[in-house]
Amino acid sequence: MAVRVADTRRRPEVSIGGEAGRILRNLDYVLLGAVAALVAYGLWVLASVSRNDVPGDPDFFLVRQSVNVAIGVAVLALTTALNPELYRRLRVPLYAAALILLAIVFVADQVRGTRRWIDIGFFQFQPSEIGKALLILVLAGFLADRARRLDEWGTTMGAVGLAAVPAVLVFLEPDLGTALVYVAILGAALFVAGTRWLHLATLATVGVLTVVSLFWLFPAVGIQVLEEYQIERLTGFLDPDHDPDGATYNVTQSITAVGSGGLDGRGVEGATQTNMNYLPEHSTDFIFSSLAEQRGFFGAALLLLLYGLVVWRAIRTIALAPSLFTAIVAGAIVVAFVFQVFVNVGMTIGVAPITGIPLPFVSYGGSSMLVTLGLIGLLQAIHVRGRLALER
Amino acid sequence: MRNAPGFLPPDPRVEEPYRLTPQLAVRIAIIGVVAIALFGALFFRLWALQVISGAEYLADAQNNQVRTFRVQANRGPILDRDGDVLVSNRPGTRVQLWPAALDELPQAQRSQMIQELGKLLDLGPQEIRETLKKHRDDPLTPVTIKDGVKREKVVYLLEHQARFPGVQVTQIELRRYERGTMAAQVLGYVSEISREQLDAREGSDYAPGDRIGQGGVEAAYDRYLRGVAGVGQVRVDAMGRVTSNREFSQMPEAGFAVKLTLDADLQAAAEDALDYGIRLAHENGDWAADGGAIVAMDPNTGELLAVASSPTFDPSVYVGRVRPKALERLAAPEANSPTLNRAIAGLYPPASAFKPVIALAAIHEGFLSPAELIQCSPQIEVGDDKQVFRNWDPYRNEPMELTTALAASCDTYFYEVALRAYERPDTPFQKWASRMGFGSTTGVDIGPESEGLVPTPAWRRRHFEHPWDKEWRPGDSVQLSIGQGDMLVTPLQMARFYALIANGGLLVEPRIVKQIEQPSTESGAPVVIRPFTAPKPKDIGLDPNAVAIVQEGLYDATHSSYGTSTAVFGEFPVAIAGKTGTAEKFVTLPGFQGLMDQSWFCGYGPREQAEIVVCALIENGGHGGEAAAPAALKVFESYFNVQPGSYAAQAVESD
Repeated sequence: MAVRVADTRRRPEVSIGGEAGRILRNLDYVLLGAVAALVAYGLWVLASVSRNDVPGDPDFFLVRQSVNVAIGVAVLALTTALNPELYRRLRVPLYAAALILLAIVFVADQVRGTRRWIDIGFFQFQPSEIGKALLILVLAGFLADRARRLDEWGTTMGAVGLAAVPAVLVFLEPDLGTALVYVAILGAALFVAGTRWLHLATLATVGVLTVVSLFWLFPAVGIQVLEEYQIERLTGFLDPDHDPDGATYNVTQSITAVGSGGLDGRGVEGATQTNMNYLPEHSTDFIFSSLAEQRGFFGAALLLLLYGLVVWRAIRTIALAPSLFTAIVAGAIVVAFVFQVFVNVGMTIGVAPITGIPLPFVSYGGSSMLVTLGLIGLLQAIHVRGRLALER
Repeated sequence: MRNAPGFLPPDPRVEEPYRLTPQLAVRIAIIGVVAIALFGALFFRLWALQVISGAEYLADAQNNQVRTFRVQANRGPILDRDGDVLVSNRPGTRVQLWPAALDELPQAQRSQMIQELGKLLDLGPQEIRETLKKHRDDPLTPVTIKDGVKREKVVYLLEHQARFPGVQVTQIELRRYERGTMAAQVLGYVSEISREQLDAREGSDYAPGDRIGQGGVEAAYDRYLRGVAGVGQVRVDAMGRVTSNREFSQMPEAGFAVKLTLDADLQAAAEDALDYGIRLAHENGDWAADGGAIVAMDPNTGELLAVASSPTFDPSVYVGRVRPKALERLAAPEANSPTLNRAIAGLYPPASAFKPVIALAAIHEGFLSPAELIQCSPQIEVGDDKQVFRNWDPYRNEPMELTTALAASCDTYFYEVALRAYERPDTPFQKWASRMGFGSTTGVDIGPESEGLVPTPAWRRRHFEHPWDKEWRPGDSVQLSIGQGDMLVTPLQMARFYALIANGGLLVEPRIVKQIEQPSTESGAPVVIRPFTAPKPKDIGLDPNAVAIVQEGLYDATHSSYGTSTAVFGEFPVAIAGKTGTAEKFVTLPGFQGLMDQSWFCGYGPREQAEIVVCALIENGGHGGEAAAPAALKVFESYFNVQPGSYAAQAVESD
């Protein structure tokens, strides 16, 4: 009661401050601390990895990534402040926006044979990244609305259909890695929403059959849905020593880099795999290999521990969520996050296929940083609302 | 209502209230477990890679960017006996391509670059691709595309480097032939070691990409000329770009100079003489004369003073990246094997020039006395089938002693001797011919050398199928006695035999390299690293008196009224002794197949204290006195510094 009184008294003067106060009191500071540490660590790693990349400007990537972080923190603040229920109401326009953004890339110019970016002058924007966040919200909204009809095939198939359209668009860019993240998000949303095991098992079976036919069945009868290089990159990790055309050259070099780091790393100057460009894309997709080479097992393990911390707090947030909608959102965020970390780190050490998935908080790239921080803000918002709901 | 903490009204569509169901709790737990499992897998894998196998991968990473490189040492020069440079080096440029860098390019750009590069360097794009393909197993070693690229093209390449990624230009040393085509077959040439040569030298310090002498002195003395290749390590990045200084573990050491016994001036004279002899033959109507050889040798040591072979070629076609078209031209039938060193590998019947061998053999075996008179008749009938063998001069019919028979080159005299030899069981001609170095290589220090052939009854049995051919008949001995039939010799073997007559009966070993030297520096005289002193001439058991009689016969051949080359040498101020030969050889020419006269002359001078032996052969050149003898005379003129034209010299019909 005391709280209520205080509220009514303050509301006329500083309603925003009151709202801000409640949010600040109920933030997950462990999560915030872990994310802050990750962002700082990520900047430090990027700075050391990219020192030799731009001649005469060792801080080229650091400066630009810092700007990305600054914008990302603003996005985080915004998503923390907004009530997540807002997105649920706006899910139809959000879905439309996602589809439009993903479609725009097809009319924009190609970059290196792929269509992933929208160039808006000062910033190259990657719609597939924000598409992740939008898809999470849209799916969660759809499933929460049908909370009583989750047993029905219609609900499940509706969710599949909602996810399939953006996933296919992203796949066609082509950005297979991110398309797989969309699939993971769909699975997570259905799983947390409470879809029947039968449905989940059926979908999983269909998924496996699809993969089998894409890789082996269709090529065997001459139908190529995936490009040759995609198949080679995706299956190469199963047998890196078999490498007739250098398809797994990157993996071999990456594993060499990681392994050579040893326990405590080779330092910035000693990391020859990174410095002499044996590691491709070492500021973005393969940044983990560079980290592992420069800082060794200690440095790599520290990063994984920080990720673990974030994941733990995020899982906790699912349980704290004040509504089914927010629970699904939190669950999908957790799964998408774990999926990205595992696939990215896994590909650098040869336990996952090579796909162009960025390492959250560490890979150089504005869209990823913005969206990831935005999703953390969303988790915070759910945490805050969950805590407040518990208080009542 | 309970779930609306903020400023939004509750959504009426939501089924309320919401609570954490046990089902959801289980699923959250599952997510947690899966996350732990995945992170655990990453941890274990990292531990395995970095901590357990870290040392191995560290070694891999270190090897990754260290490239061992090899620098060819400056090849030693080749000098003539006076130290005049015959072959040296000149700086050249080599254009190389890094396959690794090429792989980085998109297909279209790659083929466009190869296209452009080929155009610039006058190479077909297909040629470049083939070269790259050959080195496919090693993408991190640059592949040589072309050597000896012209300056303007190098400048263009360097100025447009952005358009030629992975192209690298380095300095190398290329062979320079100071005297053009001179002694081309003797000197040989240098090219990249072939896979077969590398396999044959397994365990040696030759490495792929090394340059190695091919043929002649370059091949035989390669180990002295090549020096010691520099070996070192350099760090490169993934594109193959060098990122550190070159650190040599073995500095390149320049090769030694090889000093030949050849005299450049005499060599030039011999080559001119060969051309002169061929021209003479043409003037005499022997239009098929198209090649030949001249060997000049010190009869006392076996040192070769000149080794000429015609036709010749320009060894610089092998310098730099070889143009296949140029090689095709050399190999074409019209070119008449210019790379063949006819002096040491060409095989011809020796004909009358072989008669001194027969004479010496017969004397030593005791079935010929030099003073004995044998009828030089126009023809004789031999064997059961009365086969007729004629003398070359049908108008001569008189008894002759050996010196006269040699000087007049009477065939029937030697037929009679041959019939005596046929009666003997131990094949005396062949025995002595072998002792005098025929039928086997002379051991000259460059190759490849031909053995020649001394036909024996045993050889006939081995060599022929038909029973009739298998039998050695009197006719065979008769043919052998005038150096015809199956007998085959090289000009070098002949020169060596005439050296034996000139020096009184000793068999020398021909040599073409005098010594190995440390190349001379500005200040000091060259240091001899290894002298090749001629081995002591071999005594094969000849009676000096018998040799003296042959010497006399040979002097008569060049000076008596009945001598076959008196017209050529009779007036020459230095006393030359020697013998002509006109050898019938079955040849295949464009539009002709049959017997052609091979023109021979072998001689030495001065008569008493011989300093030089000259053997000249003009292929299809007609009679010995008409082409080979005048050619040999030119060499003597040059050696003894006699002005041509200061005495009378003209060819007459002879054998």
